[in-house]
Amino acid sequence: MQKPAIPQEDATNAEPSEFPFGSNDVRLSPREWLVAGIVLLALSWLVPVFWERIEPLRAGADYRIPYPLGNDYWTYQRYCGEACGEEKTLVLGDSVIWGHYVRNDETLSHYLNELIGEARFANVAVDGIHPAALSGLVARYGRAISDRDVILHANLLWMSSERHDLQVTKEFAFNHPALVPQLFPRIPCYKVSLEERIGIVVGRELPLLRWADHLRIAYYDGTDLPMWTIEHPCANPAGAITLELPSPDPSPEATAEPWTARGIPPYNPPWVPLETSFQWGQFQRTIETLRRRGNRVFVVVGPFNEHMLTGESLEIYQKRKQEAAAWLRENRIPHAVPPALPSRLYADASHPLAEGYRMLAGQLLEEESFVRFLETQ
Amino acid sequence: MLFHTWTFVLFFLVFYPVYVAVKGSRLKLPWLLAASYVFYASWNPLYLILVLWSTSVDFLAVVGMAKTRWKRPWLVFSIVNNLGLLGFFKYGQFATDNLNALLASLNVPYEVPAPGFLFPVGISFYVFRSMSYTIDYYRGNVQREPSFLRYATFVSLFPQLLMGPIDRAGSLLPQLRTTPRISRQDVADGLSLFVVGLFKKVALADYLAVYVDQVYAVPGESEAPALLLATFAFAWQIYFDFSGYTDMARGIARLMGIHLTLNFNNPYLATGLGDFWRRWHISLSTWFRDYVYIPLGGSRRGTFNTYRNLCLVMVISGLWHGAAWTFVLWGAVHALGYSLTRSLERAKFYEQRVPKPAKQLLTFSIVCFAWIFFRAESVSDAWLVVTRICQFGLADPAFPLWALVLILSVWLYQFAYESRFRRLLSMAPVRIGLVVCMVFYLAVAGSSGTQQFIYLQF
Repeated sequence: MQKPAIPQEDATNAEPSEFPFGSNDVRLSPREWLVAGIVLLALSWLVPVFWERIEPLRAGADYRIPYPLGNDYWTYQRYCGEACGEEKTLVLGDSVIWGHYVRNDETLSHYLNELIGEARFANVAVDGIHPAALSGLVARYGRAISDRDVILHANLLWMSSERHDLQVTKEFAFNHPALVPQLFPRIPCYKVSLEERIGIVVGRELPLLRWADHLRIAYYDGTDLPMWTIEHPCANPAGAITLELPSPDPSPEATAEPWTARGIPPYNPPWVPLETSFQWGQFQRTIETLRRRGNRVFVVVGPFNEHMLTGESLEIYQKRKQEAAAWLRENRIPHAVPPALPSRLYADASHPLAEGYRMLAGQLLEEESFVRFLETQ
Repeated sequence: MLFHTWTFVLFFLVFYPVYVAVKGSRLKLPWLLAASYVFYASWNPLYLILVLWSTSVDFLAVVGMAKTRWKRPWLVFSIVNNLGLLGFFKYGQFATDNLNALLASLNVPYEVPAPGFLFPVGISFYVFRSMSYTIDYYRGNVQREPSFLRYATFVSLFPQLLMGPIDRAGSLLPQLRTTPRISRQDVADGLSLFVVGLFKKVALADYLAVYVDQVYAVPGESEAPALLLATFAFAWQIYFDFSGYTDMARGIARLMGIHLTLNFNNPYLATGLGDFWRRWHISLSTWFRDYVYIPLGGSRRGTFNTYRNLCLVMVISGLWHGAAWTFVLWGAVHALGYSLTRSLERAKFYEQRVPKPAKQLLTFSIVCFAWIFFRAESVSDAWLVVTRICQFGLADPAFPLWALVLILSVWLYQFAYESRFRRLLSMAPVRIGLVVCMVFYLAVAGSSGTQQFIYLQF
């Protein structure tokens, strides 16, 4: 004879009297936990999807991820999906491609579009991202980038010193730490606790947490809700969610002028060899990831502001450029190594000014390998 | 390692499957004990020496009581050892500071060197737990535990090791002697308790801590409204913090098929200080009742002795919480409050005519006043808070309204829980809805920082 199932009421009353359950009724039966679990899973999936419907992205011509949303990888992922949906050629890289000193209509992708007379290129760069972080970005948030043409920028600035290459042992705060490998390979200057690393790994795997990060960055000044209410005690937290994302237009730099006018002196960076460079290794991983997803990749190396380099470092830089080009040739990756722009067209060691981007766009469109890449499907 | 951290999740993911596999075998206790020691050692491996020492002494004391005729000397040995450990590690710095202050005031050109030892987390809890075993055995309330392994597991069981509940040998040892049965309801209950505890800690306590810490860091820069609200917020912060921990501890234990005692029972619904202490940190207040208040005579030796004993227990309880005069004053305020409300409860008019909400408000007010001393960094800071509150200065307290909404929602829930509206709260959609809301809120809006538990410092 089958035992009758214990109804919820009897189950709660079965508690030994010396051990009452608690001082509240938030007590679920196994079946109710199943219901709660299903509801939570559904919300985790549905809420971000629904959010995309109600929060306009407005990724029109010359769009780029707004500077305040540089750490908002959920929005980046969403933008990639839109850009890829329109069959664009994606221009990927760091602040050089993003256009750190220029407006969104003065970037490389803008001038490429202007010169070819169509809105073919999309700026999917992120300001401040270095190769190790870019590898993580593409791997985890750039899954929409598949079966596309990708112009990938190689900025050798990230190999200009052990610090840039993340090989120093002294801890320092670098950009986009949530995108770099958390557990392996170890980055010597990245010394956050295991607790934080696990939190980052979990946070980037769960869609709901990624979306929560988006809310935090886009609407709560980059802080969490509790801190935001401390800073805005009388404000309605729900009222802060305006569904209006920042504009992609302004650059973080107030003025855009040549490096010489800004008083930046020439320097002699201690270049890291490519064969031991962590950042170069991560850059290679990015190419590998993109190709594995069926993307056609074209690499643009530089152009670095060689006018800032003194003596021996200029020779070493030339060597690094050649080594990079040699590796790209060996691995049959179409590429271009444009010559350095005129000195007056650089804002600093690697960022061109608006006129510099226009000139660079023109140089690329005269480069045979680039034209061949664009014409071949 | 704190319960609301990913590191603990990792630890538990390793511990739990093995525990479920071995819980019916002889490996259960070694695995439980090893896990508990790893948990404790994650704070500082040296702490293990202390917990092992306390465990060993008390185990041997009871063996001594059982095998010799000298029960009392063994009991004294146990008590002296345990209080000595507490005295040295917890009160050494306090005693040294006060002694040096006294010497300085007497112009004695000598300073007693500071002990300079780390304060071992959880010592106040496991010492009391272990001591209760020897006292209970002495009184004949509990049988001798023949297995050192089982006894050590009782003392160090990781869900309750750091911050209680201070379960007695009589309730926990029998559970460790049998194979725990982990039913689906146990798992469901464990999850329910853990989620509620996690919400209390991360979404509520850590949130309120930001405002409270800001105000209490420099109380001289705030006016009455901010100080009042910060005190009110602290009352809730410490409740959410400690009861949240206990809920998580009970939830984890429940997942293991072990029942720990209820430690908090909506204390801010208390109608008197006596009622408050039957709802707040229940395991500690019953410990003091059974091992201090009753041996002192309890309420059996006249009114004066009753109040004397109550006041003594309150002050000692204050000292248990921390090695500072502020905690002693906190205990003293509770002593006065307890005496006041006890006297009022014996007045017919108060008992029968004063509405319950008024009694609750009076009790809550006394408790909040006492929290000023508990939270303040020093006695002078505490007096500064009190005097500035009494000056009724006006200034925008900048207290987040959202925090107020959360606190009042919880309070309303508690009122409803102890009223005829409880049946609404026990409806399945309400219970499921609350769990979904709490988990969703934690995921989306939980604090990104990890604050320590307040009671960890005790």
